Formats: sequence, C-alpha cells, structure tokens
Amino acid sequence: MFGIRRPLRLVAGAVLVAASLALGACAQPPTPSDDPTSNGSQIVIDTTFDIKTADPGREYEPTGQIVVKALYDTLLTFADNDSTKVIPDLATYEASADLTEFTFTLVQGRVFSDGLPVTADDVVFSLQRLQGLKGNPSFLLDGVTVTKVDDQTVKLTTEQPNPALPSILATPSAGILNSTVVKSHGGAIDETDQAEEFLNSTSAGSGPYTLQRLDIASEAVLVKNPQYNGSQRPTYDTVILRNVEPATQKMNVERGESQVALGLSGDQVTSLSSSVKLTSTPSATVVFLLINADPAISTLTSNPQFVQAVKSAIDYAALVDLAGAGAGQATSLIPTQFLGTLPTSQALTFDLEQAKAAATAAGANGQTVTLSFPNDIDPTGLPLVNVAQKIQAQLAAAGITVDLAPAPFATEIDAYRDGKEQIGLWYWNPDYMDPANYLAFGPGQTVGLRSGWKADANPAIADLVTQGYTTGDLAQRKALFEAWGLAMNAESPFVPLLQPASNVVSQPSVTNVYYNPVWIINVAGLGRA
Amino acid sequence: MSQGSVAPDLVPPTPAGTVPAATIVTDGRGRRSHAALLRYIARRLVIAAVLVVGLTLVTFSLTNLVPGDPVAAALGQRAADDPAIVARFRAEYGLNQPLPQQYLAYLGRLLHGDLGVSWQTHHPVTQDLARAIPATMEIAFCAIIAAALIGLTFGVWSAYKRGKVTDQVLRVVSLIGISVPTFWMAILCFSTFYYRLGWFPGSGRLSPGQAAPPHRTGLYTVDALLAGDLRTFVDAASHLAMPVMVLTLYTVGLLTRFSRSSILEVLETDYVRAAKAKGLSSWTVFRKYVLRAAAIPILTIIGLAFGSLLSGTVLVESIFSWPGLGTYAYQSASKLDLLGVMGVGLFVGLVYLTINLVVDLLYGFIDPRVRIG
Repeated sequence: MFGIRRPLRLVAGAVLVAASLALGACAQPPTPSDDPTSNGSQIVIDTTFDIKTADPGREYEPTGQIVVKALYDTLLTFADNDSTKVIPDLATYEASADLTEFTFTLVQGRVFSDGLPVTADDVVFSLQRLQGLKGNPSFLLDGVTVTKVDDQTVKLTTEQPNPALPSILATPSAGILNSTVVKSHGGAIDETDQAEEFLNSTSAGSGPYTLQRLDIASEAVLVKNPQYNGSQRPTYDTVILRNVEPATQKMNVERGESQVALGLSGDQVTSLSSSVKLTSTPSATVVFLLINADPAISTLTSNPQFVQAVKSAIDYAALVDLAGAGAGQATSLIPTQFLGTLPTSQALTFDLEQAKAAATAAGANGQTVTLSFPNDIDPTGLPLVNVAQKIQAQLAAAGITVDLAPAPFATEIDAYRDGKEQIGLWYWNPDYMDPANYLAFGPGQTVGLRSGWKADANPAIADLVTQGYTTGDLAQRKALFEAWGLAMNAESPFVPLLQPASNVVSQPSVTNVYYNPVWIINVAGLGRA
Repeated sequence: MSQGSVAPDLVPPTPAGTVPAATIVTDGRGRRSHAALLRYIARRLVIAAVLVVGLTLVTFSLTNLVPGDPVAAALGQRAADDPAIVARFRAEYGLNQPLPQQYLAYLGRLLHGDLGVSWQTHHPVTQDLARAIPATMEIAFCAIIAAALIGLTFGVWSAYKRGKVTDQVLRVVSLIGISVPTFWMAILCFSTFYYRLGWFPGSGRLSPGQAAPPHRTGLYTVDALLAGDLRTFVDAASHLAMPVMVLTLYTVGLLTRFSRSSILEVLETDYVRAAKAKGLSSWTVFRKYVLRAAAIPILTIIGLAFGSLLSGTVLVESIFSWPGLGTYAYQSASKLDLLGVMGVGLFVGLVYLTINLVVDLLYGFIDPRVRIG
C-alpha cells in the first residue's frame, strides 16, 4: 500500500478533473443574452458591497440601503429627483405646532408581499423594533415614543421638538415590516429578536421588490413584488446587485454584462467608452478639515488666526480638480442636495496673501502641526491620502508646515472621536435627508467637541443650532440653515473642502437614473428607453 | 528492476539540502510497520493541536494589540455615540469581558467547533468560512494541479535539454512567471480575454442571476456535476478559467525552476551514470532513479505553493470579484473583526499543518529510505 502506483493513480484522476475543467472553460461561456434569466426585464447593477444584512432594523450601510429601499416601503419618502421635500408613501402625516407630536394616517389598501394589509400594528412593531434592537440605526428614533391610535393611525411623540422626524422616517431603516410574518420567525421589539436570518433569506415588506437571494459577499437578487400597489412602477422584473471592484465594474458596464455601475471614481469616468452614459453629480459626502480649538492639544491650531490662515490657504478649485469629474466644492458643511445649502458665491475662497498674513500673525512660521487622516478610506473613490498631500503642499505655500499622519480608519477613528487630533481630515455622510444632520458640527455638539469646540465658545452659533433643532417651517428652516452655514464658514474650526463625485455609469437604455444621498439609487425608479 | 533489488551502491542519496522529516521503520523484509506509522501520525496530531492553541493565542494577542476600538470600526459614527447601542454591541460580542476571559471563552467555544459570530457580517464565522473556503479551494485545486503538471514537465524538459535553446526559453518563461506580479497578470488577463476578446466571462463565480448549484461541497463545478446540471457546470468552469490561469502562471514558474534544479542535481550523480552504464532505458532511469530522487524537494515546494494558494490571494480574488478567503481575511482585518481574523488564522494554520503532515507522509511513499519511527 506504500507503493508508488497509488499516487500515480491519484495524479491520473487529477488530470481527468483538470481536463474536464478545461473542457468546461473552453466551452462557450454563457452571455447575458443567452442566460435564461435575462429576458430583457432584468437589470444588473455592479457596486462595491458593504452590506451586512437585509434586516431594516439592523442595516446601515449604503448597499444595504439600496436593497432595503426596494424591499420595504416607509411611511414617508422623497421623490427621486427632489431630496428636499418629504412626500407620503405608506402614510400621510400632521405635526403639532410644537413639533413634538406627529400623527400618521395610513394610506388605504396598501398590502405586503403576501397580500396582508399594512396596519398600524405593523408600523408600531417595525418602529419599536428599530429602537429596541439597539442596532446601528437605532439612534434614529432616540427619544421617540410610538403608539397606536387606531388601525389606521399611529402617533409618534418626541421628547424634544424634532422637525427632522419626517425625513428620518423616510430612511430605509424605518421600513415597515409585516409584523405577523416577522413575529412568526422570531421577530421581537427588543434584543431577543431572532428574525435577522429569516430577513436575509426572504423579505417581509410592501415594497416594489421582494428578496429572492442574498449573499453578502457576492450578490443580491430582487424580483418584482406581484402584490405591490404603491405609487412606483418598477420596470425591471429582476434586479441583480453584484459585488464588483470599481475597475472591473467599468469593464463590465462597457461590455454590457452589467447595465449600471455605481462605484467609479472621478478618474475612472474620464476614460469611459462612448457606449455608456454617465450621470455625475457631487455626492452628499462632505470632506472637511477639523482644526482643534483646544489649546491643550495645540496652542497654534487653537488660535483663530491660524484657522483663518488655513481657510484662506486652501485652493478649493485645485482640490475639486483632484477629485475628478463630477466633484464640487462644499460651499458649507451642508451639501448641495440639502435645504439650507449655500450658493457657490458664499463658499470659502482661496487667498494666498491673506493666508500668509494670518499665518504670520498666528505665529505659524517655524512650527509644525500634524494632519491626521484615515488612509484606507476613499469616500466615493477619492483616496483621502491624495487630498492630504495636496493640502500639505497648499499650506506650505502659506508658511504652514504640516506633517502627515496617516493611519488605518479603525485606528484613527479613536483619536478623532476623542478630540486628540491637531488637524483632522475626515468626511461626513448624511444619516437622513435633513440639514439637522449637520448641526452635530456646532459648538458643544458631537463633532464640534471632537475639535475641542465647547458650547460656550460661540454662543451665536450655539443659538442657531438650538433653533435648527426646533424650527419647523420650511422657509424659516432654509434661512436659518443658510445663516448657520455662513457663520460656520466664518467662525468655526471646520473647513468644508469638497463633495466628491457620485458617478453612476449606465447603458444608454437605462433611464431615470437619480442619485440619492441616503439610498444612493432607487432601483424601482429605474426605467428603460 | 524491483525496488528490493536495488544494489546498495545504486541507492540514490537524499538530495542535498533536504532533510527527511520522518523515517519509516521496516521489518526485515522491507515492509513498513503500520503501528509505527500510526504512532508517528498521532504524535504529529498532538503537536498540531498544541500549535493550534499557540496560533489562537498569537492571533488573539496581535489582533488586540492593534490600536483601535472594534466598536468604532464596526458601528457608524452616530451609533458609536449612543451608549445603549455600544453597550449592546459589547455585550453581544463579549467585548465587555477582560481580555484573558475573552480568550478563554473563545477556546471554550472552539472545543465545540464554534468560532463565534463575525461583527463584520453578522454571521457565524464557521458559516462565513464555509462559504469562502470552497471558493478559494476551487481555484487553488485547479491551479496547483495544472501548475504541477506543466511545471514538472517544463522542469524535466529543461533539465534534459540543459544549455540548449529549449532550456533557455523555458528558464525565461519561468522567470517571467515568478517575476510578474499576479495582480498585474490578473488585470492583463481580465482586460484582454474578457474585455477585449470576450473569450471568457467576467467577474464572479457564476453569471449574473445564475443560481448556485445545490450545496454539497461548495465547489460549484463539482456540485453542478453531482446535480447533473451541465449548464451550471460550464458556467462555473468558464468563470474559473481565468483566475486559475493567472495563479497557474506564477506557480508554474516556481515549480519549473525547482524541478529543473532538483533533476539536474540527480542527473549528475554516480548512481544515475551507473544505471545508464548498465544499459537501462532512459525512461527506466528517469522514472526509477531520477524522478523519485528529485521528487522530495519538488513535493515540498508543491505543498508550500498549495498552502499559499489556499490561504487566499487577495488581489486576484478582488479583480475577479471572487468571494474567497483572501477577500474575507482582508475585510475582517480592516474592520478589526477579531473573530473573523482568528477564524482565518486558524484555518490557514491548519492548512499548513495538514500539508506538512501529508508531504511528510508522501516522502515515505516516494523514497524507500525515509523511515518513520
């Protein structure tokens, strides 16, 4: 049994296996056109996966938002081409004058994918579950009490006035689940919930699609919900989202193997073939500099003259060029898609002479400050290391010497959150489509404190923050957030730099391609020419 | 000539630089003792178990030494500011326990085959590995088989044609195989054979929307054949072709060079000259004297190359959107997913331990002088 004959037989077997594989490889590979599932109503969307789950109460990653948005309707939503005004989806609503009570009345006749009607019990269960799971998106409904009024009516009460609540309820995480089905698969409104596995294998919503298959490493397959009776008219019977690296996405969409590519950077879209079309807009991601106002961290960065020097020393147009096609300058911390954003004319401007004078006045000459940033992150295809190097060169021209301190995100995030960075280069993605997202940058607020900017450091801006959290009237909110943005540009220790591009590359046959700051793309809204 | 009749002066010596890791005890009639073999395997398994525990300790310590909080890495910025969410996260993954306690709890679960739940994927690590390992294994098996066949053939050919044009050409080819970065080769192949020529399908293990065959082994080609689904088999095999080709090119270069040098060394020995002088046919000399003597270093290299392929090839997997172990390892590490990293570390450690054991045992099959005892 120890002779050499047996290994030879094994080798012979291996040769046979290899030969059969080679035969398979040489056979004509299936193409999209001869695939049985490709019947003309299938669309393949390539993106880089970060999805962890298709459970609305737990998901909070961009790919998860795309999937869950298609599977679960929300009480309210936004139109594909207008992210400033909330509109009804499963319900209409009325808010009390003090913005602490929101009453939702369900639209008659809406049903889940199994035909059961959407009821107030489903809404209460879904929103209480979102809160009780203590998952990534649970903070969205902090301080909110959800109660059933009758079978068609639900009331949400907030501890503080909350004008952003309607926008929050439009996020996919606030999707409404079929409580009967979910409860029968271990669903609960607290941490004992066991329904995640079930919701990763199928869906239990009233959205235009249902989940056929999810592999978080490679593919999500959605099929049209035959019971759907909402306002959207999904064009494609099957939507396939695939996990593909950007360079490969480009080749796939140009060859027609996929119809949409979501992850191409500004550089990559400059060399696109003419056979595809590009929808390019600045994304809602704001890349910004944080300049620490705490003298204990740095006596230089905490000097207001130094902050002004940095703001004037940056050539914003050069940064936008660096970011590539479709990128834009962040006119304030509030991106262009949101209520209260500033026009380009009111953005920060580059003035080297002013920067040099301010740097000298601050005593920056001869001193070195550290610019920290995560070097393994590239928000929408823009590596932060490229931005950091550019800024280092621009500040040097104004007489400010900067040492770069790159670190992995998982390592650097602690220093950022603890307010230990002298200068930090970071980015902010919106959690929901309301400018109240950005009030976190105010003095004494979450991000403000990361730059050592305490509540009493700027009472005027702190007052605007308070008003931002409590003002409900749309026109007043617009004026208020514009004033906040201007004041922040002038006096805060933050420098809004740019909004990298959001590039959607698609086959010419695909229409209605709109970028959304929260759910990236509404697959049910995509059309066909 | 039978194996037992080899004259003592014709016994091929162990190739220089190779030390047999084991010896096989034989009785007076040249038969190996099964009891000795079993003792040897048992001893190796005990050592392997100790090494696995050591591996978990090293991986656990190193992962925890990395500065950074997994909570911040796993949760969104706003969620990480919410004490209730952070507390739930720490409790769910046992991060609220002291490190030694976390490690002991991990070992306790490991004894029950439980590698914990990944906070990157929300799935049990065993489930993640069961998905990722077959994907990588499918490429690795095909690549190592193809590379062994081609590399060995090239190596032998090159050695027998030493100094001639064939030898020079094959040496240059193998040098290119080793020198060209695999990720560059992957991009080149993808761009040429998929994007420009359309000879092979694009990324992934299957075409878009093509359902995976019923799970038996996780190897799509094998599962499709077992299910009698020829269409899925062709689809899976055609997707397999390019990544296998890229990895084969590198491994072929390696094996060609090693087998050439090993065979050249044996060809110059006295016992080979004596065998030729006795009038044995070239094929007999090659099969019974040259190949067997040269096989040990070649086998060692094949084992190491296979281990390297199995432990994941991040960049190649990334370019071909192949959801294998390399991709999983990278994602786990970048998210400070301790349990995912440990699961991968454990698997890779086991791969190398197993391959070393198998290679050591194969020495006994190939070389009659190798003794276990």
